Amino acid sequence: MKRLSRLPLMMILVLLALVWLLPMYTMLINSLKTQHEIGQSQYMLPPHERLEFQNYAEAFGVLKQGLLNSVIISVPATAFAVFLGSWAAFFLAMMRFKYSQLIFFVTTVATFLPYQIVILPLTQVLVRADLFNTRPGLILAYLVLNTPMAALITSTFFQMVPVELQEAAALDGCGPVTFYWRILLPVGQLGIVSTAILIFTFIWNEFLIAQAMTQGPFNQMVTPVLAGLKGNYAQLWHIQMAGAMITSIPPLLIFIFLGRYFVAGLTAGTFK
Amino acid sequence: MTYTRAHIFLFLAPLLVIVLLLYGMIVWTVGVSMDNWVGMAPVWRFNGIQNYITLFKMDRFWVNLQNNLTWLLVFIVPTAAMGLVLAYALELSGKAESLFRPLFLYPLALSFVVTGTVWAWMYDPDAGVINNFLRAVGLGNLSQPWIADPHQATFCLIGAAIWQYTGFAMTLYLAAIRDIPRETTEAARVDGASDVQIFRYVIVPNVSHATMIVVGMLTLFTLKVFDLVWVMTFGGPGNSTEVFPFFMFIATFRQQFVGLGAAISIIILILASAVVVPYAYLSMKRLQS
Repeated sequence: MKRLSRLPLMMILVLLALVWLLPMYTMLINSLKTQHEIGQSQYMLPPHERLEFQNYAEAFGVLKQGLLNSVIISVPATAFAVFLGSWAAFFLAMMRFKYSQLIFFVTTVATFLPYQIVILPLTQVLVRADLFNTRPGLILAYLVLNTPMAALITSTFFQMVPVELQEAAALDGCGPVTFYWRILLPVGQLGIVSTAILIFTFIWNEFLIAQAMTQGPFNQMVTPVLAGLKGNYAQLWHIQMAGAMITSIPPLLIFIFLGRYFVAGLTAGTFK
Repeated sequence: MTYTRAHIFLFLAPLLVIVLLLYGMIVWTVGVSMDNWVGMAPVWRFNGIQNYITLFKMDRFWVNLQNNLTWLLVFIVPTAAMGLVLAYALELSGKAESLFRPLFLYPLALSFVVTGTVWAWMYDPDAGVINNFLRAVGLGNLSQPWIADPHQATFCLIGAAIWQYTGFAMTLYLAAIRDIPRETTEAARVDGASDVQIFRYVIVPNVSHATMIVVGMLTLFTLKVFDLVWVMTFGGPGNSTEVFPFFMFIATFRQQFVGLGAAISIIILILASAVVVPYAYLSMKRLQS
């Protein structure tokens, strides 16, 4: 047999998977330990005194406003970005017209350039518009930064929609606007959902813009608050880990229950 | 479907407004990088390439450049290579694939702030998870200062990033491996090729497109790594872990040398363009076909 025996392969995979799970394991078990038990530094062992859910209550108290702000900001920013992006992606993916390639090109470049290049003018725009350090300001910032990516990913999915569908719709006298609403959105559902999930996760996890565009706890998103918690609760690892767990719950739930869409969006966004 | 120029305008205008706004902002940043703007309010005092000269004369700039290069060299190759090997291993593992895949991919769903919080603790020299574990199993002499040591700290950050991004490389490679026609691998197998030979002579040459994308995306990642540095070391000890994106933020928003910060942004822009422009060009060509 020239095939590698499956047993060593499986053993290596299991070992590596354990290494990959280790940070999550550490985070989870230590977030449930009492301060006394944390003091004993047996970080690899599960809690033996009791499960200290109080840590979560304390971390949640600090993160509460940040979590709320992150929801208030991420949800509309994602919705608008995906709508505006897919609106344009329809034409980018399905129609051929003058400059369509150029538009695709400049959109791709805009999608992948690091935020550092536009963060200063973006801040100035928000300051001028009296939107600096406000939630609408952050929604606007994320909308601008994520619409090109939404256009790119949805256009990959729309390219898979059969041309016959367009032809059939045209025969029935269906114009582009009706086609987008009545046919493309339902047919391209997978693409829309995947894109939305990916962009929501990006915005929820984002830190640079969130840190630069807000000051003070009232309008801050959860990521800067968590970064601050790490400073204020130095050495109180159990509280830090509880905070890190709470912050990770929405993206992890998405990953666990909608992982298929997450992966589809990821591959479509970069690969195709 | 019949459509008019008005339709083209209607559908593309929102995207174009946003894209043009972003390009306008790039031009604006180029402008600021050539002004002597210090302080909160805009100061438009043209001083040519003075900010760049100041930058090149700073030791800090060269430390940053060196760290960015370390990231480039030490982060990308292991992440891409491990991603490819894992992808192939998963492909071989048959049904177990759906069990293993999420275990390697889940870190990608986490925020870098979360990753940084956890890994900063893992690497803590006194109260950290790794050193405590080593001591507990009698390997205390292997314990390291980790992120407290200027010579090790950047490598520690890279370790956390590898943990987070290997699943990303794996996912793209897995998609690429699935795109290889089944007959190609089957034919090699019938000819008596081993798994290792198939990997070497069939898989690796046939995923070059994915390699290009993975390396491109990972390069971009190293050019904007900010959150991990902020959370885990804040550039320290000293400024030993600073990279351009971090320096840019501190110079602009903390020290308010806005002109200088913009100059760093432009350096990031130039480096990133070397990846993004060819990538966008190739995507455009693929769209056409």
